[in-house]
Amino acid sequence: MRIENHPILGEPEDAREVFFTFDGKQIKGREGEPIAAALRANGVLTHRYTKKLGLPRGVFCAIGRCTDCVMVVNGRPNVRTCVTPLAEGTAVETQYGAAARRGEAGK
Amino acid sequence: MKRYDLIVAGAGPAGLSAAAEAAKCGMRVAVFDENAKPGGQLFKQIHKFFGSKAHKAKIRGFNIGSELLAEAERLGVEVFLNAPVLGLYDGREILVRIGDETRHYKGDSIIVATGASENMLAFPGWTLPGVMGAGAAQTMMNINRVRPGSRVLMLGSGNVGLVVGFQLLQAGCEVVAVADAAPRVGGYGVHAAKLARCGVPFYLSHTIVRAEGSDCVTGVTIGEVDSGWSVIPGTEKHFDADTICIAVGLSSATGLLKTAGCEMEDKGPFGRLPVCDEYGQTSITGIYACGDVSGIEEASSAMIEGRISGAAAANYLGFLPDAALKARAGELEQALEALREGMFAPKNRGKIPDKTDEGFDVSMSLLTRGYLDDAEVAGYPGVRSAAGTHPVIECTQNIPCNPCQDACPKGCITVGENIVALPQIDAGAECIGCGLCVASCSGQAIFLVNEDIGGGLASVTIPYEFLPAPKPGDTGVCLGRDGKPVCPGEVLEFKSPPAFDKTGLLTVAVPQAFCGRARFWKREA
Repeated sequence: MRIENHPILGEPEDAREVFFTFDGKQIKGREGEPIAAALRANGVLTHRYTKKLGLPRGVFCAIGRCTDCVMVVNGRPNVRTCVTPLAEGTAVETQYGAAARRGEAGK
Repeated sequence: MKRYDLIVAGAGPAGLSAAAEAAKCGMRVAVFDENAKPGGQLFKQIHKFFGSKAHKAKIRGFNIGSELLAEAERLGVEVFLNAPVLGLYDGREILVRIGDETRHYKGDSIIVATGASENMLAFPGWTLPGVMGAGAAQTMMNINRVRPGSRVLMLGSGNVGLVVGFQLLQAGCEVVAVADAAPRVGGYGVHAAKLARCGVPFYLSHTIVRAEGSDCVTGVTIGEVDSGWSVIPGTEKHFDADTICIAVGLSSATGLLKTAGCEMEDKGPFGRLPVCDEYGQTSITGIYACGDVSGIEEASSAMIEGRISGAAAANYLGFLPDAALKARAGELEQALEALREGMFAPKNRGKIPDKTDEGFDVSMSLLTRGYLDDAEVAGYPGVRSAAGTHPVIECTQNIPCNPCQDACPKGCITVGENIVALPQIDAGAECIGCGLCVASCSGQAIFLVNEDIGGGLASVTIPYEFLPAPKPGDTGVCLGRDGKPVCPGEVLEFKSPPAFDKTGLLTVAVPQAFCGRARFWKREA
């Protein structure tokens, strides 16, 4: 999904490759890119499931406005992944309601 | 509490322009923006802008953003990022969240340039991952450099939908269709034509019936709407798609102005907007609004409005004498007025003109299918037949743009004083085939044609902004304005010198009979 070369923008700026985890599984991303971009590059589209109906949600506005893309990041729920930069070792988890695990009442 | 001569909320095109203009007058200026990077939406605009030289026409949006940022920095403007302005209160005081703190600042003048947000449309399945704003797709591909999806349906044929649609193609995505509930293409015809000749079908008077999929989008069904916007049963069409982009307009982000108590008025389709004087001053003295927050327009107009408000704030605090403000604002307003002429001017919104200012028929094919009909092209003043290489300008609507006129070193092309006029070809001037006009046309509507290069062949030069770059001898198929194959085409030349700024000029040889129809080239699969 990454655009390695672009007719107008050329090649992306060099960024250090970092490892992070998605639901415990280790995957690769680029340091400093939004977590949502790293996830999409790894084929992850579903960021969370809604509290009442359990419906999937993903990136919607990509500029930190709509909060559809929030996930549990480093243990903290409701983090807007489209504007939160990725770092080495960032732990990203699918959010269920406001918690990291299905059925858990999160705050 | 820190105090500044001017505080600007929003570091987009309007806010940065306002800040630079005020700083130029000697003001101490701070700009606050909630984003991690400045520039607002400018850095995701990778197309060449319209307008004239005064509007930075034919420069790509992200390059305009870099210039503007450099100017603000050079003038000593302090830009605070990750710093959302939470409220604007009496005495022109603001609260800003920086990190985990809330800080308090005072501005002796305030400019609100908070821009706009995308409108959305609810339909069954609209919350599925894979449905996103067109701006979101643009952020993903042009900033984050990740494809938003592989097969995309674009809902909305305004300039945002058309421009983002083309950028999706440049990013390597497939655009399965552009749909719009309106009966006419809403954006510039030249933007629609760029997509159509790449083979993207247009469905006007169509809306989304549903997004399909359980965990993410796997397809989409659209249907034709009747005059009451209801889907007509039996007109449904299905597309396999993993992404649906919504480009159904923008709404001004007026929250701060409202918290400040600025008077607002109902502007019909434009929403509730701040009441402003000619300099953008709101009902509260010393508080100005400029750019999309005061009414949705293009970034080009936002930058000029920002300059006007910046100069006015400088005058308000005594940094700029009355006469100097008058002169500066006069010159800026003239530039702004030039952008507000033509068929797409704010004052003409919602109207469907059937004639150009010059009296030419507006192409119904362009408005309903996204491309000019082959039979009607020859009727426009930029299109003529001639011996040797000559430009063919398929620019058929009154839009504010004139770089082609300046580009030609031989004076072949005339737009005139009024930049919304259709370009005309001077039959007496000699075309040297340099291609500068082709590369300068932000709408990619200029082609070079040589109707006879010998051996029963003609050559057609096409603006080409895709990878991989074609090479001489490459064979492929030429597509017509409607994106359908018309004839085989062999690449004679591909050039992309720095002066063309990434718009490559692709020259293909085609059988003579097709030189009036071949308008795009696709490599043989």
